[in-house]
Amino acid sequence: MVKRLSDMPEVEANHLRRIECPTYDDTPALPGKPLAERRVAIISTAGLHKRGDRPFRPGDGSYRVIPAETQGNELVMSHISVNFDRTGFQQDVNTAFPIDRLRELAADNTVGSMAAVHYSFMGAFPPAAAEPHAQHLAGLLKADKVDAVLLVPV
Amino acid sequence: MREHTEIVRPPRALWVTFELGRPLGIPDDAAFQRRVVKAALDLLARTDSPLIADYPEHVPDVTDFSGWACPINLAPSQVDSLVAEIDRLATWYDRSVANLDRTTVGVSGLDMPAAGALVSRALDGDLPEAQALKEAIDDLRAYYLEAASAFPDPGTAATRKKWFWDETKLAQALLALQPKLAASADPQHRILANLTLIPATERHRLG
Repeated sequence: MVKRLSDMPEVEANHLRRIECPTYDDTPALPGKPLAERRVAIISTAGLHKRGDRPFRPGDGSYRVIPAETQGNELVMSHISVNFDRTGFQQDVNTAFPIDRLRELAADNTVGSMAAVHYSFMGAFPPAAAEPHAQHLAGLLKADKVDAVLLVPV
Repeated sequence: MREHTEIVRPPRALWVTFELGRPLGIPDDAAFQRRVVKAALDLLARTDSPLIADYPEHVPDVTDFSGWACPINLAPSQVDSLVAEIDRLATWYDRSVANLDRTTVGVSGLDMPAAGALVSRALDGDLPEAQALKEAIDDLRAYYLEAASAFPDPGTAATRKKWFWDETKLAQALLALQPKLAASADPQHRILANLTLIPATERHRLG
């Protein structure tokens, strides 16, 4: 879920234009099971974590763990950026982290099941800082038998 | 960002035009959010990658500030200190917590008077460690905006953010703090000053 720079105030767009993006030779979309048979995890880059977990720091490429049973009132946001709206998240956690929506889609069998654990990074990291954490996370997702991930940036 | 997505080329991406920070579009609109999530998940069936699908629904911008004024007077003449302002907002913050059954305050581990005291000390030249200051400020910002959401006439998120920057002592304090942090020998203070203290849209307020 992405936005366009030209829709944004120029000062914000200029800042975002300078952000380093990794490139890949190949990014194939492989066929897989129907959605109703998939186990889905959410990975956010909103800098979310449970209250009491380590807040994110500048350049922090690590992730925080958000178990599926986490309630909205346990989540806080420590993203270093101040250039995006937080009031939507303050009002309704699902505006940035659609955990209740995924729960509903699993309950009505639109998706097969929900992962036991979901994750959040903080988006404003250098890609190299996140790579070892992302590699580790891929193994954790496999162990949880996850076969679809909803990546939700802010 | 669409432009960044075009460079990274993920296998499947859903492009939404919603305000940054609101990837699901509309708070408290479960049906809308569910349609966005479903549209993203439905892309799993496609293999014509890399693809960017345009989400067909848009959320109109609510930027009409006319006719809205903060219903409690927090102008500088009414409260003489940041601590008093924080105290004045406590009852509204409590009401917000009761309304929403949640709060996003709680990153720093400080209570709000202590967070305010940290900002006041920083303004007096006693700069705390950058991370501690950032966490305290994040909590205070959340506290103010959650409190404002419980005002009798809360306006919109946009009017509440305008209220924060136009009228509060905390915003004045942050703007006054910026040059002090920018002049610090500590590079973490300078990152805070130059990137993560004042939103890009509000930097014109700096002297």
